[in-house]
Amino acid sequence: MIEVQHLTKRFEAVTAVKDLSFKIDTGETLALIGTSGSGKTTTLKMINRLIEPSEGAILVEGEEVHDLPVVELRRRMGYVIQETGLFTHYTVEENVGVVPRLLGWDEERIRERVRALLEQLGLPPGQFVHSYPGQLSGGQQQRVGIARALAADPPIVLMDEPFGALDPITRGDIRRDFMELEELTSKTTILVTHDVEEAFEMADWVCLLDAGRMQQIGTPAQLLFEPANDFVVDFLSEQRLQLEMEVITLNDLLEALPASPPNGEREQSFAPSTPVRQVIAALSSVPGHTLTGRVEHEGRARYFDLAGLMQQFFQYQKKT
Amino acid sequence: MQRLIDFLIENIDKLGQQTLEHIGLTFLSLLIAITLAVPGGILATRKPRLAPSLLGVAGIMQTIPSIALLGFLLPLLGIGVKPAIVALFLYALLPILRNTYTGIKEVDPAIREAAIGMGMTDWQVLTKVELPLALPVIFAGVRTATVINVGVATLAAFIGAGGLGEFIFGGIALNNNIMILAGAIPAALLAIFFDQVLGFLQNLRIRTLTRSAGLLAVGLPLLALLPFLLQLQADRLRAGMNPEFIGREDGYNNFVEIYNMEFNTVFLNSALMYKAVREGYVDVIFGYSTDGRIKAYDLMLLEDDRNAFPPYYCAPVVRQELVAQHPEVAKALNQLAGRIDNERMSALNYQVDFLKKSPELVARNFLEEEGLWRPDQAQGGETLVIASKIFTEQYILSAMFAALINGYTNFDTEVKDGLGGTKICFDALRQGEVDLYPEYTGTGLLVMLSPDKEQVAELVADEEATYEYVDRQFRRQFNIDWLQPLGFNNTYALMMRRKDAQSRGVKAISGLKGE
Repeated sequence: MIEVQHLTKRFEAVTAVKDLSFKIDTGETLALIGTSGSGKTTTLKMINRLIEPSEGAILVEGEEVHDLPVVELRRRMGYVIQETGLFTHYTVEENVGVVPRLLGWDEERIRERVRALLEQLGLPPGQFVHSYPGQLSGGQQQRVGIARALAADPPIVLMDEPFGALDPITRGDIRRDFMELEELTSKTTILVTHDVEEAFEMADWVCLLDAGRMQQIGTPAQLLFEPANDFVVDFLSEQRLQLEMEVITLNDLLEALPASPPNGEREQSFAPSTPVRQVIAALSSVPGHTLTGRVEHEGRARYFDLAGLMQQFFQYQKKT
Repeated sequence: MQRLIDFLIENIDKLGQQTLEHIGLTFLSLLIAITLAVPGGILATRKPRLAPSLLGVAGIMQTIPSIALLGFLLPLLGIGVKPAIVALFLYALLPILRNTYTGIKEVDPAIREAAIGMGMTDWQVLTKVELPLALPVIFAGVRTATVINVGVATLAAFIGAGGLGEFIFGGIALNNNIMILAGAIPAALLAIFFDQVLGFLQNLRIRTLTRSAGLLAVGLPLLALLPFLLQLQADRLRAGMNPEFIGREDGYNNFVEIYNMEFNTVFLNSALMYKAVREGYVDVIFGYSTDGRIKAYDLMLLEDDRNAFPPYYCAPVVRQELVAQHPEVAKALNQLAGRIDNERMSALNYQVDFLKKSPELVARNFLEEEGLWRPDQAQGGETLVIASKIFTEQYILSAMFAALINGYTNFDTEVKDGLGGTKICFDALRQGEVDLYPEYTGTGLLVMLSPDKEQVAELVADEEATYEYVDRQFRRQFNIDWLQPLGFNNTYALMMRRKDAQSRGVKAISGLKGE
């Protein structure tokens, strides 16, 4: 659990962050979004004390970070940055093992942990442990960076534009592998990104900043459908459709969907919580074929094809 | 080439010793530089305000000409290895300091941020991340410093610290190219060798480099100190000599042969020798018997009881034609014959060297004391050119000659002082560009005439025979006359502190045997 209270940071004449407060529970993910210079990275760095705040307090599990020994504090927080910051003179295995080694884990435990993490992040250990960062692609390097942040199983993960330097496909792949990590469910994650879609896909809570001031904090749906001010509306307007597809799930459309199957080929089942975007992507994945989607709710099945789903989506969109 | 090889074979012991000394000087100073400059560079990265002044000071050191730097250090640290090490250390400072600083500064900020963000302490960031990543750059600095030091260390011979510069300086003094190469080539090879080795290390993977850095931590001090440990061997007396002395016919090798006695040799330039023996840096020196400092420093000349040093009686050498046509010139100059003994000459030199009187004034005072002074007789006559080599005694003598010719003949005179070495003066005289200059019988015998060894041995035992021989031969071969000797014998002489000589009870050179 992280609680930020009236956080302010001034750099000489510039106020980078002004009176910022929010709270995230364990297991939740908060995305800090905003334009460049909005103060999101500054906020993140105040949490692991790479930057000290001018005013206000940050509490981690109820403890003031300012009162904790800084080195120990940081070892409890995984830290991922856009440039990866991998140690070029260390192998992949050594890079991932840095914090466990700082914490004095025994070598066998480090070895196992490193290999397990690499495996989960799509880097077969047999192939990669002895490589040096310079021998890896950008995507592979970022996977190592994530593995390194998670290695000591920190309760908090801080990510600063972790996928910012990657192409969209690689970015999506890594994001998916990252979100599938089971251990994330017990971690509090703060993500800084300028990619709104990424924020909506990954975060439980989104905090929109502008010029160091918080414009709105809420669930993705709240930002979309209950915007606090015009800035929020404007900020999201360009990608509104994609964002709505991300936010609206089959659950929202259930009642409008027919109970009998249309004349489609092959059936594909979806969970009610699946965002519309994912369903559309799945149904349109085989060109020239009309796939039938199926969702079950309270023991009753509902059916739809691509066209029917889109129609219902647009109707729902109009309503809200 | 063959002559070079012969020289090297003949002097192989000397060469080995010089090479070891050279390596020792280079690496001892390098070691000190590394132990100070690496932490200094680190400090500069931690205290950005300090960086410009640290780098600035080291940069200024670099711009001081090496000879000047050695000159500054002499009064502070005395003669020998100490000032050499300090000078080399100062030169090595900048490349290592600068490269440590930039090497760390240039570590990718993202890597540093990641290291800090992961919870490394300052010390861990430095030792686990910054230093290893900066190591290739630091190594490049060490490499530069090494090559600079191998080069500058040749100058160490100038102040008695040994090294390969001994042959180089000796060769320059004797105009002996073979000897110069015998020092210069090994020095160049050393520089290339260490450059290659360090270049190889620098390009290793950081991992391997970190390990070899440990190896270096052991190897370097060994390399630095070994030569000095090896040198501690003998408890012989330490003898200072200028580099010229080792290469001369009548020099050190000849001395060793005749007296069957060896010293731990220390090369010193002539200007420093006397100071070195006075301060006890060496026990004896092979100096010049009329130097003003003998008196000033209370040194004692040991008697050359086996005639190792040929007589170097000084006399004016004059073009024969001039003497034949104008006997009054010879007459004027011959008034000096036998008037200046060693002690007198030494005292005259002392007045110029230490009392800072001008050579002309000293010459005039002497002539007045001797009742020989006369004002200039005639103006506007024909001009005679009088030359002198570049040292005090010659300046005084040429001034005396000029005064006598002005006072006793109708000639006018022009003194060309500082005409360089023997060869330049002699050639100018032969070609008629110069009419006369003071020369020494031993030089005439060994440098200009160089008869065979047996004849030399026979001649040098007798000063008169030497004079007669050179006079006769110069007349015949070069049309040059030797006028009458002035009286003093400016030969090489073994000298030591008077107190030291008295406490050892030594008067003659053979008395040193067994000391």
